[in-house]
Amino acid sequence: MPLHIPFRPLLKKIEIAIKLSCFIHFIGEHVMEVTMCIGPSMLPTFNTVGDLVVLEHFSPKLKRLEIGDVIVCISPTNPLRAVCKRIIGMPGDRICIDPTIINRKYITVPRGHVWLQGDNMSNSTDSRSYGPVPYALIRGRVFARIWPQSCWIKNGMTPLQEDD
Amino acid sequence: MVFFRNPNVRSFIRTAAWSPVILFFVEHGFSIGSIQGRSMQPTFNPDSNKLRRDIVLLNRWIAVTHEYSRGDVVTLYAPDDPDRVITKRIIALEGDTVLPLPPYPDKFVKIPKGHCWVEGDEIFHSKDSNEYGPVPLALINAKVSYILWPFSRFSKVERFENSRVSVFKGDPLKDHD
Repeated sequence: MPLHIPFRPLLKKIEIAIKLSCFIHFIGEHVMEVTMCIGPSMLPTFNTVGDLVVLEHFSPKLKRLEIGDVIVCISPTNPLRAVCKRIIGMPGDRICIDPTIINRKYITVPRGHVWLQGDNMSNSTDSRSYGPVPYALIRGRVFARIWPQSCWIKNGMTPLQEDD
Repeated sequence: MVFFRNPNVRSFIRTAAWSPVILFFVEHGFSIGSIQGRSMQPTFNPDSNKLRRDIVLLNRWIAVTHEYSRGDVVTLYAPDDPDRVITKRIIALEGDTVLPLPPYPDKFVKIPKGHCWVEGDEIFHSKDSNEYGPVPLALINAKVSYILWPFSRFSKVERFENSRVSVFKGDPLKDHD
């Protein structure tokens, strides 16, 4: 007895699966995406063990990023890895590379680049080791944390009050 | 819902359901692009007529796997302007040592991890790594594999190795300083 396979419905199901997965991929690539942020470099903001964060892809495309935004960008040293950092400098800003040493070095962020640093400055591989990062490597802005303790991630920078 | 029973609307929705699949293919499979400017002469746009542009086939899957070899022609986001896409040739990959050309201040460049050195074929009219240094591999978004138009030059884009490079002969997976 030949095995009867319902061929047409199966084909229809595969077709729907392909369409759906491509649609989800499109949303993840251009609208918003959920990723895991692992590592000690963002410690007071995110945990070491891996926080689930949501990032949106509109702000980098519309050039709405500002100093203080938490972003996810592709690591300049490894194209297959993404890192989560905070924007410290925009093009044209003058940045002190390491304020803790005596002979401080200053750098001007070049055109089309940003200066990124982790919140945990003592344990973070960031622009201090690989220099300014091209803007095109930024994937999205982190705007919320889902797990643990879901909350909105806001721009953490406050303007410095100058004494008179 | 009378609107969804309309056969025109139904066929439109059925066609539109395929658009994410097509978009996926264009973004991560193959797509077609045109090349502007003279920085890649004589490979592309051999006559400097600005109205005639070469149309090429772009292999975008390479930006997913990130497996490049020296001499490939690639398109990448300009490091100094995220809105511009430039076409250049990969001269050196990570670990290699390059002898850069004049605008670059140093005599030798060792390409850092995850970076490459890109140059245009027309070295006098090209803004490339000699000006802004090694570029991250992640900026590359496609490899130029075929020239499609003009039809008289329809061909595969050849790979050319450059003599100003000393190739790193070690394990690329191993960390090197």
